[in-house]
Amino acid sequence: MSEEICCGLKVGQKVPDFEMDTFEPSKGDFGKFSLKKAKKAGKWTILFFYPADFTFV
Amino acid sequence: MAALAEQYDRFKKMGAEVVTVSTDTQFVHLAWQRDEKLLEKVKYPMGADPTGRISRMFGVYDEQTGLALRGTFIISPDGTLLNSEVNYYNLGRNIDELMRKFKANLYLSKHSDEGCPAKWKDEGDKTLKPSADLVGKVYEALQ
Repeated sequence: MSEEICCGLKVGQKVPDFEMDTFEPSKGDFGKFSLKKAKKAGKWTILFFYPADFTFV
Repeated sequence: MAALAEQYDRFKKMGAEVVTVSTDTQFVHLAWQRDEKLLEKVKYPMGADPTGRISRMFGVYDEQTGLALRGTFIISPDGTLLNSEVNYYNLGRNIDELMRKFKANLYLSKHSDEGCPAKWKDEGDKTLKPSADLVGKVYEALQ
């Protein structure tokens, strides 16, 4: 694992570009989220982590 | 997650892409979203982080359980992390507070010489401009 994706970004730091697979309920299909693409589109990104599916919400 | 679904359209209209993330796969996300009635209105993309790579990057990966803590992060369009909030497993998040912080970030991105004080809620509320005149006079400035 490279250094920059190691252990906890702090506010004020640049977030390294990353991609991840998604399920997109609005399309009923799988997709990908790309920080690079969000940035290119001039969008803000809000990441909302939670422990696990099928647990209390 | 259901509370977030209710406000998702507002976040989107204001220029944010909201993505939820857990260490489940996208296949499990699909099964859960279709199964759980509370999630029937969910429109946000549900991100899969089965290796914990993204969770580790944001410091929310729990090595003991393989799960991600309840972390919320706001990233500006230039890729800067501007907000970071992490709750332990047993405390949910207030989406109104997330909206307040997002609005404040939007405002501050256009007014970089100002600051939003603790009670700032929306555009039009008092902000502060740090200067020599403000030193020791914050109370008066907020009146």
